[in-house]
Amino acid sequence: MTTISDVGASTPAPVPSAAAVGGPNDRRGSWIPTWSMITTRFMELRRRRGLMIALMLVTIGIPFVFLLVRLLLHAFAPHSYGPAGGYDIFQGLVAGVLYVFGFIMAATLGCTAGSIDLTEGMFRHLVVTGRSRLALYLARIPAGFAIIGSLIAAGFAIVCLVCVFAAPTTINYDGANVPAGLSLSAFETWAGSHVNEVFCDFPYNGPTPANIPCGNGPGGGPGGVVVKGPPGSVAPAPQTAAQLKTQAIQFARQDYSDYNKIFLYPSTSLMVKTGLWIELEALVGFMVGLGLASLIGQRTVAVILMIVLEIVLTPIFSRAHIPHLINLQRGVVGLAVAHLQPAGLGFVFGGGGGGPNGNQGTMRLIPETHTVAVCVIVGWLVVWSVLGAWRMMTRDA
Amino acid sequence: MSTTTLSYSPENRTAGSEWAVETHGLTKRFGATVAVNGVELLIPRGCAFGYLGPNGAGKTTLIRVLLGLTHADAGTMSLLGYAVPKHRDKALARVGAIVDEPRFHGHLTGRQNLLLLAAAREPAARGRIDPALERVGILHRADDRVSKYSMGMRQRLGVAACLLGDPQLLILDEPMNGLDPAGMHEMRDMILSLVAEGRTVVLSSHLLDEVERTCDAVAIVDRGNVIRQGPISELLAGASLVVHVECSEPDRARALLEATNIGAQVDVGMEGLGITLPTGTSRDVIAEINRVLVQGGISVYRLQEIQASLEAWFLQVTSRLGAPE
Repeated sequence: MTTISDVGASTPAPVPSAAAVGGPNDRRGSWIPTWSMITTRFMELRRRRGLMIALMLVTIGIPFVFLLVRLLLHAFAPHSYGPAGGYDIFQGLVAGVLYVFGFIMAATLGCTAGSIDLTEGMFRHLVVTGRSRLALYLARIPAGFAIIGSLIAAGFAIVCLVCVFAAPTTINYDGANVPAGLSLSAFETWAGSHVNEVFCDFPYNGPTPANIPCGNGPGGGPGGVVVKGPPGSVAPAPQTAAQLKTQAIQFARQDYSDYNKIFLYPSTSLMVKTGLWIELEALVGFMVGLGLASLIGQRTVAVILMIVLEIVLTPIFSRAHIPHLINLQRGVVGLAVAHLQPAGLGFVFGGGGGGPNGNQGTMRLIPETHTVAVCVIVGWLVVWSVLGAWRMMTRDA
Repeated sequence: MSTTTLSYSPENRTAGSEWAVETHGLTKRFGATVAVNGVELLIPRGCAFGYLGPNGAGKTTLIRVLLGLTHADAGTMSLLGYAVPKHRDKALARVGAIVDEPRFHGHLTGRQNLLLLAAAREPAARGRIDPALERVGILHRADDRVSKYSMGMRQRLGVAACLLGDPQLLILDEPMNGLDPAGMHEMRDMILSLVAEGRTVVLSSHLLDEVERTCDAVAIVDRGNVIRQGPISELLAGASLVVHVECSEPDRARALLEATNIGAQVDVGMEGLGITLPTGTSRDVIAEINRVLVQGGISVYRLQEIQASLEAWFLQVTSRLGAPE
């Protein structure tokens, strides 16, 4: 029998008291992350050069280059190339680039934040500090979202600026260049003085005059003859100029409601709503990616799954009516976010649902109320966060 | 649980005891494999303690259990008087540890990695970054990316990370890995200086020579069991006594010695006789050996007591060479 209690030349250190450990500001058992934890996590993510370049290229670079090229082309050849900005460009860049690719980039960042401590061996160091594992997880959310949120905001700001300040001066309404913002009477007056454009380009439900030379334009029929309305409804020709003007005004009166929904550039209200909406999509991508990567413990598979979700599963489940899976389809988060898109914005999953009737796109989606959509989004955020945090708290380090 | 030579008093089980590390019946299984098998370990404060064992003996697993990196299947444990995992945050507040190979974010500098770790500790930890880097000798490389560090520099950075919490207990798993001889010497000096400051250093290693030079006490672990623990001097005192003899007629000398009641195991080698005496044998037996040989007409050229080393003792007690547990 031996004892080693007398080993060591120096006097044993005093047993630490609870108050003495770490000082009065040390709340490492708390699940709330400290500001310092958030800022250093932000620093860690921000210094991933490759990832940051990829994020900036997609969220800022693509819109910036696209708009720059359009600005230059319009500057050098204004007759061949239209203005760089405008409502259509805004819709295209928001729905086509920032929404979908913003989600993918946010998911990539989330997957990185959720797994990289583990794969690079830092998780063990962090756990040994005694800090709550939940706090370690939660610190990643504001840090990561501060990055992706600000990048998407920057890209979106560029799009808004160009689309507003380089907007066209006339509206392209079904191929006809029409001044923007006309009242009904002004629109009718304009139609009366642009009979050919009206008959050739404007949609109209009713008899149309014949022998109007339209060429091969959008409204042009065989041999340049206008053919509109129900079969056999072609009005007898010829007509006098006054008759044509009267009929053009009728066209304009019928089309005014559609015309009135087209803008030269997006309104401030639409831009604000759209900005919040794509930030919501980015937040969803980031949080789900963070939780998924924390759950499975690695980045690559998580990123692939997120991309598949966004560009394969979500478009399919959002548009294909599968009778027995309709409620499952309603649970897809991409569908839920799409239902919250601001009115007047084109459909995000392609298919040309935008245009004059901005809600045409969403009408093609699997129907879902806003309440259900909000519940689905909240559910995804909570469930994936809980799963990720739970795995982080129980994982062997 | 096999033999443990450590005395144990019930009063030591209370919180706030003199032990830096205290475990009772600690068990960790991976499926059918028992990595840590009912370990009873008492590590006093203010010493350098070696935790030794062959590869796969369960050294790192025990450390991971102690630090809360993985859960225990049975048993109780405390660090610095705090029960773990119940008061894990308080216990780890004054613990620094390197487990396995120290790995960091390669895209960050050494200082930035420490910033990240200091943020998870108390606010004062941030102010300890530069002193810690200076102490481990990499302050001049603190702003280089860790991906450019050598293995030895990462080890040093790992020790610097341990120092951020002003630890009372440091648990270093194979800290000499990747260090050159000079680096090992510096690491040894640093460990000794940490102990001199009143800190407890637990050194897990299979570099027995380093442990013998650095540590005051050791525990030997094999196949998940702590098979011996205590001060090195006392443990080695219990080792077999080996005497090397160079003489004429080795075979006849062997016959003479085996005919006595000394109880020695005599081996004839190229350089003479190797005589292993049972544990606890008096040194007078060495003189008796000489007397028997001389009286038998054997010329004795050299007779030397071989100093028992930790390595020899380790090999003797571990089961890797077939010795009993």
